[in-house]
Amino acid sequence: MNGQFSTRVITLMPVAIAINIVLGVTVQQVLKLPIYLDSIGTILVGVLAGPLAGALTGILSNLIWQYAPGIGGGTIGPFAVTAGVIGLLAGLWGQLGVYRSRPASGTSLWLPTVIAVAIILFLASRIYGNPAYNDPAYFVSWYSTAIVLVAVVVSVAVVAWVVVKRDAAGAWVALAGAVTGIVAAIVSAPISAYVFGGVTGGGTDVIVAALRQGGSDVLNASLGQGFFSDPIDKVITSFVVFIIIASVSPRLLARFPNGERLTATAA
Amino acid sequence: MIDAHRPGVVPGFVLRPPTGSYHALNPSTKLVLAFAEAAVAFGVRGWTGPLVVIAIVIATATAARVGRSLVPFALAVIPLVASILLVNTFLFPGATDVIARIGPLAPTWTGLEAALQATLRVAAFALSVAVFALTTPTDDLLADLERRGLGRRGVFVIGAAIGMIPRMVERASEITDSQRARGLDTEGSRWRRIRGVVPLAAPMIIGALSEVEERTMALEARAFSAPGRRTILRPLPDSAWQRIVRWVAGLGAIILVAASVAGLLPVP
Repeated sequence: MNGQFSTRVITLMPVAIAINIVLGVTVQQVLKLPIYLDSIGTILVGVLAGPLAGALTGILSNLIWQYAPGIGGGTIGPFAVTAGVIGLLAGLWGQLGVYRSRPASGTSLWLPTVIAVAIILFLASRIYGNPAYNDPAYFVSWYSTAIVLVAVVVSVAVVAWVVVKRDAAGAWVALAGAVTGIVAAIVSAPISAYVFGGVTGGGTDVIVAALRQGGSDVLNASLGQGFFSDPIDKVITSFVVFIIIASVSPRLLARFPNGERLTATAA
Repeated sequence: MIDAHRPGVVPGFVLRPPTGSYHALNPSTKLVLAFAEAAVAFGVRGWTGPLVVIAIVIATATAARVGRSLVPFALAVIPLVASILLVNTFLFPGATDVIARIGPLAPTWTGLEAALQATLRVAAFALSVAVFALTTPTDDLLADLERRGLGRRGVFVIGAAIGMIPRMVERASEITDSQRARGLDTEGSRWRRIRGVVPLAAPMIIGALSEVEERTMALEARAFSAPGRRTILRPLPDSAWQRIVRWVAGLGAIILVAASVAGLLPVP
């Protein structure tokens, strides 16, 4: 418990919270992208310091974002629950060594890639096959196509990464990101549905509207939107964190509680 | 005002005399009130919860004379409210009581009612937090929470995060400008902008990480991990009736939400 909250982690957490808030605002307002990218700091702390520190960073990020003088307001506060879960999961991935660079070749490179792609496609097929979305009575034709498209794009990204970098970690990072995204979608959908009437005021509301047009109820429409946006967002976020960790010197990484799980080269 | 030149008198910037009856409340009282208001706004379904909270928020904002400063906070929820109104009014699952048919569009009364309720909930929530933020300086809140037992680590995390946001905003815009000067396209197609994320995020985070090292040294050099508690220089005024208000508001909100969820609250 105390090991997760060394002075170094305590100093990292406010930095991570500020990164979450500022990057979230910048990406959504300056770059005007339809993703959130407001959990880089949370995942970073989770991976470097462990699940508790990650969860706390996520929760505090959203609460402070809601309160922050100047850029506060909006509706981010209640999603603190989601952010906490994201941090918790990132901590688990960190402790499992998901973010450790694994230079490999041959079978040890291809096997994880195939497994990761298979799991991603399996998850997509579960969403695709969910009666809430492919019941003929409530059918939104392009939604299932979109989910398959997301899965294919993520899979291609994984394979491309693995081929170019010759690093099996890419497969695990993408898988961790996709699973985090699906869990995040499941956690946020009830908040979005019961607290905000199913919408969030962002570009993703178009998807909610389309699913409702097709006949989904409030919860399933929000869930469907989450299944679409969150895995993409979390896979991108996970890769950003992975790239950052790879470019920080091992000397610096080793000082964090999870440091040795990120720097050890033995697979 | 306090005459700072008289010996033995604490100067004004330390004592910071409160500027109004609501500002003068103990920060924790205002924090509990904000949480209670948010819980009631979201937890008590129907019209009553959000409307009661909005009434309380307007009353407290008037008492604290921050009504004018609430306007930007109210404006900030417009995109969300617009989305709530449009999506729910026109596309409410299972609603059949159509108001009017306009081509393929069929707004329903059920949808409109749900949309208005969600709008009120969002407004009540956003404004209750806004009143709290406007009437409570961060350092006061943290000083009071520390007096109540929040460890100095928690105080540091929250305080440093809030203090760091403006600097980080500045740094983000510096990085964006530098990358633009080097040819990064931040206005082009969606794909180009997605590719712009890493050149923006990486320098920001790596720079911040190296700063963590310096801050850690600085904190350790100042006995950050020393045992024992810090002495509070400026205990904030609290009173017995504020303690009662906190308990009543906190427990009251929990009971109201529980009653509403259990269906025991016969209000519209």
